[in-house]
Amino acid sequence: MRTRRILAVIVGIAQGAIGVFAVVFAYILFFDFPLQLFILIVFGFFSIISGLFLLTERPSP
Amino acid sequence: MKMKRELGLFDAVMLGLSGAIGFEIFVLLDHAYFNLAKSGIVLALLLGGLINTLIMLSYSELCAAIPEIGGEYTYIKVAYGGFVAFISGCLRWLASVAGAALAALAFAKQLLYLFSKVAPAVEVFVSAQMPLIAIIVIVILVALDVIGVKKIGTIIVISFLAIFAFFLVSGFWHGLTPIEVLPKPLHEGLLGVFSATAYMFPMFFGMRAIVAGASQIKNPDKNVPKGILLSALLVIPLYFSIAYVTVGVISHEDVGSPLLNFAAEKIMGLPGGVLFAIAGMVASISALGTSIAVQSSIARGMSRDGYLPKILLSVHKRFGTPYVAIIAGSLLIVFLSVIGPIEFLAYAGSFGSILVFALINLSLLKLREKRPYLKRPFKTPLYPLTPVAGFVMSMVLLVFPIFLGDVNAVSGLMSGLGLVALALITYHLRMIGRHRLRVAVGGISLSIGVFAGLWAYLFDTEFVPLIIPSIPLYVLILVCIVSILAGILNISARTPKIF
Repeated sequence: MRTRRILAVIVGIAQGAIGVFAVVFAYILFFDFPLQLFILIVFGFFSIISGLFLLTERPSP
Repeated sequence: MKMKRELGLFDAVMLGLSGAIGFEIFVLLDHAYFNLAKSGIVLALLLGGLINTLIMLSYSELCAAIPEIGGEYTYIKVAYGGFVAFISGCLRWLASVAGAALAALAFAKQLLYLFSKVAPAVEVFVSAQMPLIAIIVIVILVALDVIGVKKIGTIIVISFLAIFAFFLVSGFWHGLTPIEVLPKPLHEGLLGVFSATAYMFPMFFGMRAIVAGASQIKNPDKNVPKGILLSALLVIPLYFSIAYVTVGVISHEDVGSPLLNFAAEKIMGLPGGVLFAIAGMVASISALGTSIAVQSSIARGMSRDGYLPKILLSVHKRFGTPYVAIIAGSLLIVFLSVIGPIEFLAYAGSFGSILVFALINLSLLKLREKRPYLKRPFKTPLYPLTPVAGFVMSMVLLVFPIFLGDVNAVSGLMSGLGLVALALITYHLRMIGRHRLRVAVGGISLSIGVFAGLWAYLFDTEFVPLIIPSIPLYVLILVCIVSILAGILNISARTPKIF
């Protein structure tokens, strides 16, 4: 379980960071392209939520 | 512990009036007069009073039939269940938060007027620092609410009634310019009048305070409906005559802002304007304190029912006040008071409450059908015309300012609808539960990973449609690996034992 926990933290941080970067870059690069902006923001938020789930994972009793 | 029923009919009426007569009249007349209806605001307030009476008839029946705490939230819950009640709670919360921010800005505006009259040297400084003044007032009131200082509503309402009576008598004594209550043609037509009614409708909202205080009223079967209706009817001539005198004493050439202070200054000289500025500030402070407390109580109610995080129920160890709910909502109040112009906040608060009023009328119709044998000490006359008219008029008030093309109205309505959308998502996420949501997010993550992998493969084979933006290959591979791993980890998380 310890390996899983370490992997979950690493992947969680990576995915959360990808999500944040996606949202930030969406605003910087695609501000005038609503479709691309929307897709990247949705992707970013899902990534952040998924990363948070992994980071807040509690070890099962 | 059950509260003692100590208040009679007179107290019930005072409760309704103290809720209704507040800072709104000091701040809402301006936009309605200058941009929406000009002297048609007199007619707009009359119309608002009549629509409010229709809605209050529905409130009276529901309050007498379901004398439980929670007010509209409870009525809507009984009629339509938790989901619609949750939406109504969110809308009420929005109205309270927007109302609190509006009160803070109204205070700053009256302070600006006061300084422009008594210390013109610092007027420019005060004018530049209005958002900061609003923030300082909010922080002080939040601190007072956390510590638990009680308000003095009845004294304030009696003082206001005295000030307004003096204003009206002086106004008629001063001699009014003959105004056309129904000018021909109407400024912006009937559309302008209805828009002004929608904009100024928060002037009537506070009357619901009787519903909140129903548990302290003696003989509630009779006194609560009578109190609601009497205060609804008394407010109509009061607002009508204030608007009539205000519009009657000002001329279009030399009119200033705030409108009510300007009219008071014309009638009673500088002391009149200053008196109204002080009254406006006191009303704003009182309303701000109440709104902060109301928004926290709504948030706690929804948290108690499991719709919002339980942390909102936390009570301060020393002061015994719900400090988390107070501070959480107050952060949004500060944000709104900094970004939101008065007109946007007024519309946001107004639309939030009008949507709840529409739901109240629908709840009455639903309960008459769903529970025909429910004991109803007061029955709405002319049923079903009254609640149907109340519902239709609520919808009309929502729609007309949009037709007029008022940008602030569109933003206000969008904020309300945005909050409803957010509430829908929150509700369904709460109902789905953490584990199922996690599996769903894991599935989405896995799909994104596979999609990113396919995208990377297409790049590698140089078979890429032009519509797809160019993203470096190593980024796509990183996203692919991380998303697939995250998806597998989230989906394979063990189901927590429920029992």
